[in-house]
Parts: sequence; C-alpha cells; structure tokens
Amino acid sequence: MGSHGGTVVKNSAANPEFGSSNLPAAPWKPHGGAGQDVGRSCILVSVAGKNVMLDCGMHMGFNDDRRFPDFSYITQNGRLTDFLDCVIISHFHLDHCGALPYFSEMVGYDGPIYMTPPTQAICPILLEDYRKIAVDKKGEANFFTSQMIKDCMKKVVAVHLHQTVQVDDELEIKAYYAGHVLGAAMFQIKVGSESVVYTGDYNMTPDRHLGAAWIDRCRPNLLITESTYATTIRDSKRCRERDFLKKVHETVERGGKVLIPVFALGRAQELCILLETFWERMNLKAPIYFSTGLTEKANHYYKLFITWTNQKIRKTFVQRNMFEFKHIKAFDRAFADNPGPMLEVKMQVEYMSFSAHADAKGIMQLIGQAEPEHVLLVHGEAKKMEFLKQKIEQEFRVNCYMPANGETVTLPTSPSIPVGISLGLLKREMAQGMLPDAKRPRLLQGTLIMKDSNFRLVSSEQALKELGLAEHQLRFTCRVHLHDARKEQETVMRVYSHLKSILKDHCVQHLPDGSVTVESILIQAAAHSEDPGTKVLLVSWTYQDEELGSYLTSLLKKGLPQAPS
Amino acid sequence: MEASEDWLVESLRLYQDFHAFDLSGATRVLEWIDDKGVFVAGCESLKKNEILHLILPLRLSVKENQGLFPERDFKVCHGGFSDKPVFDLKHVPETRLLLTSGLPGCSLQVWQIAEDSDVIKAVSTIAMHEEEESLWPRMAVFSSVAPGVLHGARLSSLKITDLESQKIMYASGVGDREALSSLQVLGADTFAFCCTSGRLGLVDIRQKWAPSESPGPGSGGGRWCAEVRSRDQDPGPSIASLGSNGQLCLLDPRDLCHPVSSVQCPVSRPSPDPELLQVTWAPVLDNCLAISGFDGTVQVYDVTSWGGIESQVEPLFTHRGHIFLDANELDAAPLVTTHIWHPCKPRTLLSAADDASLHVWDWVDLCASC
Repeated sequence: MGSHGGTVVKNSAANPEFGSSNLPAAPWKPHGGAGQDVGRSCILVSVAGKNVMLDCGMHMGFNDDRRFPDFSYITQNGRLTDFLDCVIISHFHLDHCGALPYFSEMVGYDGPIYMTPPTQAICPILLEDYRKIAVDKKGEANFFTSQMIKDCMKKVVAVHLHQTVQVDDELEIKAYYAGHVLGAAMFQIKVGSESVVYTGDYNMTPDRHLGAAWIDRCRPNLLITESTYATTIRDSKRCRERDFLKKVHETVERGGKVLIPVFALGRAQELCILLETFWERMNLKAPIYFSTGLTEKANHYYKLFITWTNQKIRKTFVQRNMFEFKHIKAFDRAFADNPGPMLEVKMQVEYMSFSAHADAKGIMQLIGQAEPEHVLLVHGEAKKMEFLKQKIEQEFRVNCYMPANGETVTLPTSPSIPVGISLGLLKREMAQGMLPDAKRPRLLQGTLIMKDSNFRLVSSEQALKELGLAEHQLRFTCRVHLHDARKEQETVMRVYSHLKSILKDHCVQHLPDGSVTVESILIQAAAHSEDPGTKVLLVSWTYQDEELGSYLTSLLKKGLPQAPS
Repeated sequence: MEASEDWLVESLRLYQDFHAFDLSGATRVLEWIDDKGVFVAGCESLKKNEILHLILPLRLSVKENQGLFPERDFKVCHGGFSDKPVFDLKHVPETRLLLTSGLPGCSLQVWQIAEDSDVIKAVSTIAMHEEEESLWPRMAVFSSVAPGVLHGARLSSLKITDLESQKIMYASGVGDREALSSLQVLGADTFAFCCTSGRLGLVDIRQKWAPSESPGPGSGGGRWCAEVRSRDQDPGPSIASLGSNGQLCLLDPRDLCHPVSSVQCPVSRPSPDPELLQVTWAPVLDNCLAISGFDGTVQVYDVTSWGGIESQVEPLFTHRGHIFLDANELDAAPLVTTHIWHPCKPRTLLSAADDASLHVWDWVDLCASC
C-alpha cells in the first residue's frame, strides 16, 4: 500500500484517532508529604484507551488523610467505576493494598479488583489488623470500617499464575510469580498488541521459602519496575543468615533464651527453616520460642498455599511438615516467669532490611527476561539513578523513564493494525503477471474502509459501489517546453527515440496521429504560439499513472539528446 | 552444598563480620576513597565495563559491632562506563578525579565524579607515547598542590605527568626496558618500583636516575610484585616482595641487596595468573601482611619472627570465603583478583575474585588470647 493510492496510515502515533498509546503512568502525589523511605504504590496506566489502576497503597508514615492517595487525580468528574476498567493488587503489603477499602467503599469503586488467591486470603487480615490499631487503639477518624473491608473483598476476582483473564473483550491480564512474599505477583496488562508489565515488589534471588520472580519473553511495550533498591548491591543471603545464626548462637552460649518477635509474614517461616537447618550442626541445645498470634495464622496460610512456596519447601513438606518445627516451640506468656535470663532478639530490625527486593542486578535480570521496549522506574530518586538509567539504556537499547510522583509519562508506540484485503483486489494484482518479490515492493492501488473496528482494503470499484458513488476520472496534463526549431513531427520522433531507449521496461509507442504513448500516458507536440524555436510537449496521464507521469515529465524537462544531423 | 553449610557454621567462629556481594562483573581493582568508599571496575575486553564508587555498608562504619544494624548492603554512589578493561584505578586525593589504566596501554583515562548526579564521566586521556602491545602502564599518584601521576609500563617509559597541564614533570631517562609490575609513591619526592623480574628500586625524583636497588631473586624466576610498608616508624624490614612461585621476601630499604628473610608460602604454585599477585602490608596491625593471587584464598601472615631463609611458614589466617560461597559450583575454582586492608579497622579486609564476588571480612585472631 503506497502513499499514492489509498489512505493507509503507517505511523499511528501521528494519528491519535486509532492505535496511539498514551501510557500515562502517574504514581500518586502525597498530599503535601515529602519523599519517603517506604513509599506507597498507586499507579494509573492507560493502554489503548483502557484504564487500569495498579496497587492502592497506604503510606505508613502519615496518620491523617495524607496516607491515602489523592484519587481526584484520576478523574475530576465522572465515576471511578466508569473510568477504570479494573484495579490490580500485586501483594498484601499495606503500602500496596492499604488504601483499597478506602478507595472502593469511601471514594467509590464497584468494578473488579484482581489479585492472587493468597493475596485475597491475607489482605483482609492485615487490613483488619491495621484498622484495629488505627481506630481502636489510636482513635483515628475517617478510617474504613470492618464492614467496608468485607464489602471491598467481595469485589475481588482471584487470578492464578499464568492464567489469562479477560477483563472485557479487549483487555486481558496475566499474573507472574514475583517471589518477595507469599502470593506476590507481577502483572501483564494487554490490549490487542500493546502491553504493560507491572512488577509490584519482586526479587530475583530465591529465599528458603519462596522462589525467585520469573517472567517469559513477553516483550511488553513498557515494563514498570520498582527501583527502591536499585542503587544497592545486596549482601548475600548466606551472610545475613550467618549473622542471625551468630546472634542466636552467642545468646545460647551465654545461657540465654531466644525469643523472636514476629511481625512480618513470611520472614518467620524463613527464620524457622534456617534455624532448623543449622540446629544440629551448631549443637544448639536450648529451646527456641516463637511468639504466637500472627504467626499461627501465617503458618496456616503457608500450609494452605503451599504451591506458592519454593520447590524445596514443597519437597520437604511431603516428607515432614516444614511448618512444624522440631526445636522451635510456641511461646506461652507463662514462660516469661521462668528463671534464667531472657534475651529478646531484636533481629527483626536487622532482618527487616532483608526484605527481599530486587537490587540493581535483579532489575537488569528481569529486564533481560521480559525484553520490554521501554522501562519505567518507580520509587527511586532521579539524581541517584542516572547511572542505572544509562546502564539500562545501553545494555538493552531501550528508553528508561523515572517519573516523579504525580508526573505523567506518555510513550509512543507503533501498534500493528491488521487490515483485510479483498480477494478481488488480490486477484487483480496477481493477474498483472509479476510474482511477489520480497525485495521489490510493488505499488498497489486500493481504498481503505474503516467501519466499526474493522479495516478492509478493497478495489476502488468495490468501494464506490459500497459507498454508492460514481467514479470520476482524474487526468493531469503538464507542459514541457523544448528548444527545437524543427517541425512538430520531428520533435515527436526525437521524443519517441529518446524514451524508447530509456524506458526499456515500458511500452513506448508512436501512434499514427503523431502522438507518443508510454503505457497509458499520452505525449503530444505542438508549436509554441509565439516562439517558432520552441516546441511545447503536452504530457497527459491519469491519476493511476501519477508516478510514471511525474517521472516522464522531469525526464523530458532535462531536454532531449542532440540528434545527429 | 554440604561443605558450604559446614563452612558457614565454621565462619561463626572464624569471623567477627562477613559480608559477600556479587558485582555485575569481576574487578581487579579495589581503591579507597576516604575510609567509607571504595572503587571497583570491570576488566573485560569485549564489553562496556562499569566503574563503581561503592559506599561500605553502614554496619562496618560503626566502632563497636552492636549487631543491630539495618544497613548491610553496599550502595552504589556513583557509576561510569569504560570501553577498555580497567586493570588499575587510582583516586587523586582531595579531588573528584580518577585515573584508570588497562589494555591497550597507549593511554591513561582521566575521570570525574559528578557532584550533582551519580555519574562518573570520562574527561580526558593522557597519552603514553609508547607503543606497547601487551603491557599496560602502572600508576601511582603524587598528591600535592598540583597533583601528578607517575606512570610507565617499563623502566624506560617511567614519567610523571602533571594532571592539569599534562606536562611531563619527570622522566626516568633510562634505556632499560625491563617491564614493571608495581609503582608506589612513598613521599613527596620518592617512589618505589618493582619489576616483573623481582628487581626492586627506590627513587628520589630530585636526582638524576640513581635508585637504590635490589638485583632481584635471580634464581627464582617467575613474576614478582612488591609493596613498601607506609608506616615507616616501625623498625625492621618494610618491603615485602612476592613471587609467582610462592616465595615471599622481606627487605630492609637500607640494604636492598640482602633480604632479611625469604620464605616459601604454602600456596598452590605456580600462580595461575601471576599478573594478579598481590602483597599488602596491614595499615594497623604490626608486622602483618596479606597475599593473594594463587587460588581462591587470601592469606594473612605475621612476619614478626621471620628472620631466616627458606623457612616454612603458616598463615595466621586464611580467607576461604570465595571458594565456599562460589555460586558456580561446577566451574573451575575462583581466583582472587585483588584484596585490600581497611585503613582503620585492624583486621578488616576486602577481597574480590574472578567470579565477580566481593567480600568484606573481619577475621578473628584465634591466637590473640594465647
């Protein structure tokens, strides 16, 4: 399809009516809050007209409305349910789902909320816990209620790993394993040939209880990745474990008892597994206690979602229940009264930094796996990430963006638009004789009809018929002045010889009436009305032969070769 | 897996602190910037190498190990890209400038650490004016009001170039084409050199070339490197010279012709890559030095009682972390490419290996209480 026939648009980015992909990705601006160590995640993505909200996090550092995202950013008027096609929650950490009940029940959203089954099971527990502390203990107002949490969760649709979910007939989503915590997933959002992958929080090195994140070579237009730890080179898991074991060992050697307060779901399991693995080697005799409460529930969910854990865990689980430990007992308050020094291991502060996030190496690995066209980094500080940006751009030859909170990024894409060609048109082209040649593109004339979401290329006749229009012929005529004092017939002969020698591939004829034809193009010579030394060539062609006609004209304008006298 | 778990338990006893990191590429350089930051740089020939300015984990900056530290990761403070492999890197003190050297050895690269971003940018080159195919110039920095870099791949090409004007301030002016393995600035006007043959020299740049020299170990053969102890208030031999056959010599600068001691270190020999040999004096501990470049270990020796020739010695401590934490268990054992002592923490070292690992370790002196 050439630029002479039909109206095919090659670069859809130039025409916003179809195909262009505005992908504003706007992390929410905190209400007057400044930069934070642990941020909150809430990103809006627009893909080919579909609007998806990624995560709905709460900022743990604020005690007032600043902890919630400013949803008026999304749309000034109009209902969120109408504007958003869906909401996706990546995992159960409150900085990713903490504002969800507020958003769905207090601001108002009734559309689908997608998350993985473990997230669906664990979210409401954490939300309720947080609500209790905020409202019952701290007496905060304007907070969501228990009923709101329940109502919110009713809108949840569970998504399993690698299962494509059709949100509507154009938008589909798919979840990938992210590691990090139980149930955490990375999501691919796809509309036609355009897609975005959002990582949420992930890590690329396997834990003792969770595997590493993995994605296939899905080649999204955009990969949105967290970059909180992008400028970090992480201490190996081995060394972190070593430190923990050292602390335990030293305590026990001194005759103390070890109590591990547990706040983080998942880490408890990790520590238990670690201690159990090294117990015998280290000759530990003293008992190790685990404080109950959240841990029990956690253990329950880990057993429930065993398929979401690490291969190794699953194998061992078959042999013996890895979540019931030989040497680790539940802590009963009564024990505190026993004689002997009690040492509370404040390792959770040390261990918290062990939160499994991707570091620079991990981010590069993920980009290498997914092969996106563009990369967008969230949660980092722009000044401190210029090097990472360059690294990504050089290594993968992609564009890398680092929007600030509240900023919108628009990415041009060139989506492929499938166009059906009518059989009649194809047959006519084939009838011209020449076989298709990949190295010699041919000019095809046709008419593009766009109706509903359908694109068809048909012959002009068919288009005219469908549209009920009569055909009009368009003919161009050009005058070329030549210096030639001879008679018109001789000029014509010269033109004929000249063209015959050059245009060997075309049919050049000298007609009895004194005109020359090149294919269907007509050339006639006439004397100039005022100057007998000049001849005027009239070159005339139809719209279909425009290219050849223009070429002939410029050729003739160069003049004729000197005839031998 | 078993062996590494056993070693991990052993390590509880052997190390006060131990951190292991994976760089994106192996480094052959470790250079301090104040006592909190360190530079590493990639050394591969066919790809873009990274030069990184890393900030040590906060945990290590603390005087006493309280164990309650959240920060145990390296932070990448600045980074840059080098097309050439980097075999040596020197920071110019009191400036934001870096110098790197590698193959091809026709120039040194000057870099600047940005102030308003995290980028290290190449700013200029210093041409070497010598055609060298496989040798790369060694470097040492004369830091003064107008800093200059001492450089050369051979004795004959030894020069000092002023960094600002790029003028040559000093040249050895000799025709001797012996290849160099190390250069070390000792004072405002003196430097030491060590040739690959083991020949050592101390040079005063105020005089025409007339170094005090040691002829080198002649019979030993192999490739040599050396280091002069910076703390010159200690009596005793202050020059250590290490050969690829495992021989370690101690020399007194006042009598370079007669080594004070010469020992055979228990290492696998010869070194698989003698260019990676390294011997370093401990900046805080008395009479301690470390060697690496023979295998995946770093060995620490106490040389206090050394006085004889050819005696067998045992290291005070051997760091085996690179062997036991080796990620690629099926590949060849890793080789330590470089190591460096912490400037103020007595028993803390950093070591890097060819599997891109970087360790920071603080070993326990098990004999201390004896």
